[in-house]
Amino acid sequence: MMRFATLLKHPADWMMGHGAETSVVLTSRVRLARNLAKSPFPGWSRKKDREGVYLSLREKLELVPGMKDGFSHELCDLDPLQKQVLVERHLISREQAARSEGSGSVVNRKQTLSLMINEEDHLRIQAIRPSLQLNEAFKLAHAVDQRLEKLVDFAIDPTLGYLTACPTNLGTGMRASSMLHLPGLVLSDQIGPVLKGINKLGLAVRGLYGEGTESLGNLYQISNQSTLGESEEEILDRLTKVISDVALYEVQARKKLMSEDPIMVRDRIGRAAGNLSYAHIITSKEALNHLSMLRLGSDLTLLPPDLVEQCDRLFMETQPAHLQWRAGRKLEPEARDVIRAQMIREKLQSHLPPAINLSEKEN
Amino acid sequence: MKCDSCQGKATVFYTQVIEGKLRKFVLCEACAKKKGITNVDDLLMGEDLLGNSAPQTKIQDLVAELNQDDCSSCGFSLDDFRKVGRLGCPECYDVFSREISERLPSMHKGGIHKGYLPEGVAMKQALKSELACLAEKLESAIEDERFEEAAMLRDQICKIEEKKGVAES
Repeated sequence: MMRFATLLKHPADWMMGHGAETSVVLTSRVRLARNLAKSPFPGWSRKKDREGVYLSLREKLELVPGMKDGFSHELCDLDPLQKQVLVERHLISREQAARSEGSGSVVNRKQTLSLMINEEDHLRIQAIRPSLQLNEAFKLAHAVDQRLEKLVDFAIDPTLGYLTACPTNLGTGMRASSMLHLPGLVLSDQIGPVLKGINKLGLAVRGLYGEGTESLGNLYQISNQSTLGESEEEILDRLTKVISDVALYEVQARKKLMSEDPIMVRDRIGRAAGNLSYAHIITSKEALNHLSMLRLGSDLTLLPPDLVEQCDRLFMETQPAHLQWRAGRKLEPEARDVIRAQMIREKLQSHLPPAINLSEKEN
Repeated sequence: MKCDSCQGKATVFYTQVIEGKLRKFVLCEACAKKKGITNVDDLLMGEDLLGNSAPQTKIQDLVAELNQDDCSSCGFSLDDFRKVGRLGCPECYDVFSREISERLPSMHKGGIHKGYLPEGVAMKQALKSELACLAEKLESAIEDERFEEAAMLRDQICKIEEKKGVAES
């Protein structure tokens, strides 16, 4: 079985992009909610029942190809910091991180598939792919679903579809979402109307970490809200179409900014690069916002192209839990800000034109 | 809601005000009788309090709600659903179908599942609707005394039921 440290050492396959077109759409995720036919939902079951469901499901999940040598832990075996790291990697949800006994996480080695046991539902099958590949992500999750339905009796009603703890997930039980980087629309003040338009189409827009989180680093998640009354294919097609449209608006906004106000864009990117290269204290929020500008600079070929991948890794690695895990201890926010700044300076040194290194002069 | 004294299903909600002190009891009918609240019907003043101005349907709704049983399979109540917006177990969808179907239009594009179903479930569903359709035809054939056709339909129904039995086993 894969250890937590091994999981953390390797960036997820979808974080690397691997040549996929990720200048606007970073990742695509699909999750399917499934429940056992004869058991109360996790939020309403006794601890003993939950543990029974956990053990029986875990045994079956490990039979899924690629899962056996993956990461598999009951959440009570993980400390709060480890749970938070998994949340930052989108491998478990914030809601699941609050749970412990009888709730578990099974992740394959490549971190493309994450199975959550006893989150809000008995089982959530999640697949993540880089760029706009919602159909591919669905295929991955669907294959696991089809394999499991032969081993497990899922709760299904022919009219209502898959029965879920919350009726908002009823039917397909499918929530599909993409993470978009929209600095062009933000800088040109078009983001408000675009988000409103997306809402009007019955889709949800959220911040970096889902429901109730603010948008940081110009990152937005777009997902379907309705899960009943349309087939998976219809939902994915509609979502893919809207997301491609938004991506197109973003590209147009970037072009327009570069033709109408290139100095402003260069100034924003230059200041971000300056801040990240020289800051010795930087909060997670400030880092995300500057990294967003740096990523834009690289996408616009104002900065080296390999900076995009570095920015994506830093988006993740400068998050509070990742930072503390790397440091090997719990750190107060002030101490985190110092370590974060140091880490960013080091990582960017080889990618940006040489800067005056104040830290070295001090030594 | 559970009875304060025996944990059974509470149906009597009794509020006492003595010298300005308020006390509330939630009891099942048996315990209410034991505690001397002998004639429960005498306490049903709902209609008096709501007066004649309250529309009849509203009273009917209230009565239906009071009579709504908890889910027999997991003990979840309608009250719980209203509080948390989630359900206790898959069976709850049957028990609270009325309340749930009222809420679905605000959540979803439609009320009928159009997505993937495992092979067995999809086949069972197809056979079920085929059976319902044939049964209807059979009934009208008998009514119109088209007995030859009725016999054919009956054979067809037998065959499908056999097939369904095999699928279920």
